[in-house]
Amino acid sequence: MTKILLRDKLDDCIARWHAAGYDVIGPQKNNNIARFAPVTKASELDLESILPERTVKDLFFPQTEPMLRYQIGKQKIDTEEYLPPRRKRVVFGSRPCDASAMAIDDPLFGWDYKDAYWFQRRDETVMITIACTAADDFCMCTSLKLSPDSPLGSDVMLRPLTGGVGWHAELLSERGREAFERIEALFDDDANAQPEPIADVPVKFDLDACREWLANPENFESHFWKEISMRCIGCGTCTFLCPTCHCFDFQDEGDTYSGMRRKNWDSCSFALFTMHTSGHNPRSTQSARWRQRIMHKFNYFPGKFNLNSCSGCGRCSRQCPVDMGITETLQEITKVAK
Amino acid sequence: MTENTHIGQQNIYKPAIMKIVDKRDEAPGVKTLRLEFQNQEDHDQFKQRYRTGMFGLYGIFGEGESTFCVASPETRKEYIECTFRQSGRVTSSLADSEIGDLVTYRGPYGNRFPIEEFYGKNLLFIAGGIALPPTRSVIWSCLDQREKFSKVTIVYGARTVADLVYKHELEEWQNRSDIDLVLTVDPGGESPDWQHRVGFVPSVLEAAAPSPDNCVAVLCGPPIMIKFTLISLQKLGFKEENVYTTLENRMKCGVGKCGRCNVGSIYICKEGPVFTAAEVSKMPQGEM
Repeated sequence: MTKILLRDKLDDCIARWHAAGYDVIGPQKNNNIARFAPVTKASELDLESILPERTVKDLFFPQTEPMLRYQIGKQKIDTEEYLPPRRKRVVFGSRPCDASAMAIDDPLFGWDYKDAYWFQRRDETVMITIACTAADDFCMCTSLKLSPDSPLGSDVMLRPLTGGVGWHAELLSERGREAFERIEALFDDDANAQPEPIADVPVKFDLDACREWLANPENFESHFWKEISMRCIGCGTCTFLCPTCHCFDFQDEGDTYSGMRRKNWDSCSFALFTMHTSGHNPRSTQSARWRQRIMHKFNYFPGKFNLNSCSGCGRCSRQCPVDMGITETLQEITKVAK
Repeated sequence: MTENTHIGQQNIYKPAIMKIVDKRDEAPGVKTLRLEFQNQEDHDQFKQRYRTGMFGLYGIFGEGESTFCVASPETRKEYIECTFRQSGRVTSSLADSEIGDLVTYRGPYGNRFPIEEFYGKNLLFIAGGIALPPTRSVIWSCLDQREKFSKVTIVYGARTVADLVYKHELEEWQNRSDIDLVLTVDPGGESPDWQHRVGFVPSVLEAAAPSPDNCVAVLCGPPIMIKFTLISLQKLGFKEENVYTTLENRMKCGVGKCGRCNVGSIYICKEGPVFTAAEVSKMPQGEM
């Protein structure tokens, strides 16, 4: 049976998922910023925006999270571990670029040592992705050899039907099937329902040429890096709004008697990121830091995990206060590579 | 050289608790702590995994964690020794800790010196200043099975006589007939009763002229010393593949995830910290 989920059944879906013990999370717009948050009814969802400002990464790797509470006594240290609460979750309405990004980071967080904070949340989450029927000037998934309906990282792919009446659902995983069994009674099988064509996202740079140029050790010291990063103010916005950026820091809040150790986002754009206690900084200039970001995403990461550490969401360029981002840089590399 | 050990432990960022059982002043601002595990499971895991060259993250709750090598050898796993210079928040706090105090430890992480590959060979250890601790871990790992190796030469230099660390062990090595120990201090760093060499490590090494035949060199020191010592080793005829060194960078996680310790594509924490000079020469030099 072709599974058709009608939009006006969405409230029932949410209620059934709640009844089955799932938290339901989706994009919500507040103060002009769309982010992923728990929803109780369909009207709270922002399914119109092309892409929420905040990424779905927030749900798996929050900006800050507690790891350990410590209490230091005379002859003992008591620690209490904080692992994510064991809750099944449905994420309704992620975009293919965001969902792909989570799958891209899986090998990194599981590289020999498994990060429980990441994988516990990954294992408990059903990712229901809506294929894109619209794109803006910054979207670039196709440049990364992905597409507005890439299945990577999704448990269910929804394709919008014409007239906005609902979605055609493709179940991609066991986890997706399990969540959809809960709402089976709500499906419609209107054979006339036609999915809208997916968005047309033009290819903006030549990824293969860029990767080849980046892999050439001669280009590591190229003047290109100084020029391209001249505008960068090192604010870190691109890294925080990047769904694949995964760098973090540990910080202890409290004193040497009691407190909390937290895992916080960090950014390769910041000078302090790599600075040694001695004051020596192996990446002392903004150009070295921007080069690290590009090299990491398109040379080091693919070399280790055979995946580009970029899913083409375009947030880095969209939100950059000085109008530079991955697209602009890889477009320039495409030019110099030829 | 990476050892792919899958760790099934639930929270890889949760440190073990260790007790300080001994504390030594090595040089101005440099201290050694001897630590004992408080939990048998943590200790068993350490004994199973630790090999010379690996590092750990030592910490004090409320201050944070700092990365340095395990200075004790793989042949002595009842405790961990770490030697560090008091320079930041964590190291100052560790330095202020007393015997009996509790600290945190995560590790051992990283790769190791493949000492089985050194069996039957001559060993040349070269260290500068505070870089004797990682070298010392390899030295004792070899000396504790001395019969498996041929000639052992140790060249150690520091800025001044006061800056030499492990003075009691230097004396022990000096008195052993199966070790050639060459000690030096930088010009101006000698004391009136200094009996050993005066000069920088590279030139002292060239004067001592150890033979590169059937010899493996382990070299640890500040970047400037490494740079010039590698030139001297080359002059003496050492091949880059037979020279091992250990690198360091700022780290937070120690397990290849937090994203800051890489030099080019190489994560020091997982693919290092031990590299051959041949591997190091392929990495980006300067800004990385």
